[in-house]
Amino acid sequence: MARKNKILDIEDIHTYYGESYVIQGLSLYVEEHEAVSILGRNGVGKTTTLRSVMGLTPPREGKIHIDGTQTTRWPAHKVSRMGVAYVPAERHIFPGLSVEENLLLAARPGRGKDAWDLEKVYRQFPILSDRRKQDGSTLSGGEQQMLAIGRALVSNPKIIILDEPSQGRSPLMVEMVTDVVRDFCVASGITLLVVEQNYRMALNVATRHYLMGTKGRIEGIATTSELREDPQIIQNHLAV
Amino acid sequence: MGGVSTAIDITLNSLVLGGVFLIVAIGLNIIYGLSRVMNLAHGSLYALGAYSGYTLVSTGLNFFVALLLAPLLVGVAGLLIERTVIAPMRSRSIVYTLILTYGLMFFIDGLIKYTWGNEPRFIDLPAFMRETLPILGTHYPVFRLMTLLITAVVMAGLMLFLSRTKTGMTLRASSTIPEMVSCLGVNMKYVHIGAFVLGSVLAGIAGIIAGPLTTIDPIMGHEMLISSFVVIVIGGLGSLRGAVIAALLIGAVQTLAEFFITDLAMVIVYMLMAIILAIKPRGILGEGKFE
Ligand SMILES: Nc1ncnc2c1ncn2[C@@H]1O[C@H](COP(=O)(O)OP(=O)(O)O)[C@@H](O)[C@H]1O
Ligand SMILES: [Mg+2]
Repeated sequence: MARKNKILDIEDIHTYYGESYVIQGLSLYVEEHEAVSILGRNGVGKTTTLRSVMGLTPPREGKIHIDGTQTTRWPAHKVSRMGVAYVPAERHIFPGLSVEENLLLAARPGRGKDAWDLEKVYRQFPILSDRRKQDGSTLSGGEQQMLAIGRALVSNPKIIILDEPSQGRSPLMVEMVTDVVRDFCVASGITLLVVEQNYRMALNVATRHYLMGTKGRIEGIATTSELREDPQIIQNHLAV
Repeated sequence: MGGVSTAIDITLNSLVLGGVFLIVAIGLNIIYGLSRVMNLAHGSLYALGAYSGYTLVSTGLNFFVALLLAPLLVGVAGLLIERTVIAPMRSRSIVYTLILTYGLMFFIDGLIKYTWGNEPRFIDLPAFMRETLPILGTHYPVFRLMTLLITAVVMAGLMLFLSRTKTGMTLRASSTIPEMVSCLGVNMKYVHIGAFVLGSVLAGIAGIIAGPLTTIDPIMGHEMLISSFVVIVIGGLGSLRGAVIAALLIGAVQTLAEFFITDLAMVIVYMLMAIILAIKPRGILGEGKFE
């Protein structure tokens, strides 16, 4: 079965907010150990795609498989337990909970020597270790992004889905977040689906890219090298 | 000398009353903060706690055993209510549960009248609790001191539970960004059930400890519902710390007002609420700080 090594497989989904028809037929997949991006302008439906996967805004039609299991319209907690870690663009660090408590809530035992636990998060993100007792919502935007990614990692997921990690970040911060995603998610073999408007970030972390147009339509699929060779593709795609 | 002991009496009475308000209001606040349900039957659950306590004690059960059992019974009632009345309305607007719990209030009150009648009841306290203890130059009833102690233990237990356990952590997180909590693998259904049962148990505890302080009658829950509303509105909807401040404040104001001008006690409490809301429309500590 070809689906076997697809960690995420979205087949022709249609998603609505009430009457508003936002995703009009979207298909994409992410294979095991692959890092894939969805590139698209503001408002095309990138976030809605991720919300469809998580079951937060379930698609009305179409199918979603996670690691071979049909999870279409499952509630978010069941999707999460399938091994999907969602990092929303707002990061959603729990206010009133310390950095450590934010991590503890997400932690799930992993297998193998590469498994993540709190200690490993603290080792890799010393800034979080320094602030472990501090209210998570008092961290700077960049630190909160680290915490949000750390929270995804400690759940030892099969796939991390990351919504616009560069949104609202300074160039320096974008570089830092890029390094974190590349070193800890991609290099360690965690499957990744990242949504971006910032193509530099996307090209630096992912190897395959879906170019999303309005209403979630996929207008093209390209590899990083193809996009680097012909920058015009991205220019045209992201131009308003 | 008489003036000083009166002042100490009033202070202790304020704390006792404030403590009862606090336990009821915190329960109401936990339910609201975690599931956005304004439980209008909360006062009736409080009354149910008092009546269950009365019945348990009058069958000859030790008061302290009743103190543990009555809240559990109210907790079971809360579980049934959550499953049958609240849960089916979860996806709808807050107005639905508002109306349904309003109806439930009359249902429980009717049940209470049917079971226990209209005449007031009194919980028979163990002899030692009916005595007074010389304290700070006054003689204060042992039962009231016990009430203070129980309030402190309940609040300390609740705070430890919320701050130290993983379940408590989940509840605090759920009061802020529930959607993200589900994304971490938590079934919010159990958070909602847990909140309603916990809130009901707290109402039950307040009911049985308040029973001997006041008379137990079918309308005792109504006054308490209003008072605990005042507490959570003044303290800030969903704010636990705000509730502590507000409960002590209202306890003190009501005790003082009753001492000096009995008839106007509640009027003064409402005036205070109006003044505080005019200055801070979202309550002393604002909305939703669940810590
Ligand atoms: N909660 C909502 N209710 C109604 N429409 C929404 C809602 N959220 C987003 N939309 C609309 O759906 C479309 C896609 O939004 P979104 O998925 O957030 O886009 P992106 O993440 O690509 O910027 C937009 O037109 C947006 O206005
Ligand atoms: Mg978006």
